[in-house]
Amino acid sequence: MNTAKSKGLALCPKCHKLNSLQAEPQQCSRCHGMFYQRKQNSLQYTLAWNVAALIAFIPANLYPIMIVYQLGIPSEATILSGIGEFIDYGLYPIAIIIFTASIIVPLLKIIGLFVLVYKVHTGIRLKPDKHSKFYHALEFLGPWSMLDVFVVALMVTVVELGFVTSVAAGPAINYFTITVIFTMFAANSFDPRLLWDKKATAQAPISTDTLPRTLPEEKG
Amino acid sequence: MNSKINPTFFVACQQCDALYDKPQLKQGQLAKCNRCGSTLIERKVDSIERSFNWSLAGLMLMLPAILLPIMGVTLAGQFHQASLFDCILVLIDRGFFMIACLVFLFAIAVPIVRLAGAFYISYSFKFHKLKPSLLNFFRAYHYLDNWAMLNVFMLGIVVSMYKLIDDTELSINLGLFAFVFWLICSTMSAAALDQDYIWDKLERAFPRNCANEHS
Repeated sequence: MNTAKSKGLALCPKCHKLNSLQAEPQQCSRCHGMFYQRKQNSLQYTLAWNVAALIAFIPANLYPIMIVYQLGIPSEATILSGIGEFIDYGLYPIAIIIFTASIIVPLLKIIGLFVLVYKVHTGIRLKPDKHSKFYHALEFLGPWSMLDVFVVALMVTVVELGFVTSVAAGPAINYFTITVIFTMFAANSFDPRLLWDKKATAQAPISTDTLPRTLPEEKG
Repeated sequence: MNSKINPTFFVACQQCDALYDKPQLKQGQLAKCNRCGSTLIERKVDSIERSFNWSLAGLMLMLPAILLPIMGVTLAGQFHQASLFDCILVLIDRGFFMIACLVFLFAIAVPIVRLAGAFYISYSFKFHKLKPSLLNFFRAYHYLDNWAMLNVFMLGIVVSMYKLIDDTELSINLGLFAFVFWLICSTMSAAALDQDYIWDKLERAFPRNCANEHS
């Protein structure tokens, strides 16, 4: 399979024009944007954002995300206890939606990106077709984790009845948004083309990698 | 590595970098990558006209969607309603600056900028007012691709309605309908915009700005 990289071409990520690669970073001849053939230090950036997101995810679950004041008495709810409330009321579809959006999706994204980075790095049991589909699912799901933040924002504004009932956002909301935004950055900095590159080099190691290395040894 | 390949006759897959001859497509056709299955090039039907109309409708719905109250709550004889704009004011008022920023960015600012951008681009194509600055403009437009979250906000509205419906008397206002239509318009205008066609057209209109190495 011919790739743009093997022919010395590079695809502009913004306007999707093929440029022949003369320098890195290359300036696109059409939109004048600067870009690299592959995202620069893609794995390191993904890993770094990922670790940061994982760290922020811990306080996001421990602190209360929403505080409801009824007649001046506060009752705090974390993400999980909010879901539990829905289950108590018997609103299972909503409970499932919130559980998916605010617990499963961020965790799946963080773990999934760790796995992808690991697979690209080592090349063990790498199936680029499946893994790139998995990556696209992760990328698509990213913004949906913001759901909880928007729900809290709406609750704070709509339920504002002075002393009777009012809602305040807890500290967890900040950590949770940080988690979501960082996972989005992590997914953005991952380059799915690396999956295919790794597979291609793993399949044909003799022709490209080993020959140039053995020749200088014979001289010495 | 053979270096004498003219890149204008080829396309590469954005997801897996596979190289193909550039296909000639009619409107409504799309080319898919053999290796990873993602879309290579798509010629959308009537792209300029459609995105012009959708984005115009979106811009007209923008103000009602933001300013009209989305829903109201009656509890113990007190009535309170809130619009998207109130949402931000209240959040700032009570000191939740971070969520206020987020809601403003993802549910107001980014969708408006994207709508206005789509409108400006389709307007200048529709009336043949192409300028070289459009090249930079359209590139900047792509930076916001991932960050419009109107659809998530919509789901947020639904979920918070479920939360409120048990304890309170909930009333739905005109703002919600405006918001739903605004969401539809902004999604459709972004989906109707044919990027490959626009870049192609721009490149042909300004060959000097797009210094092609091989011509």
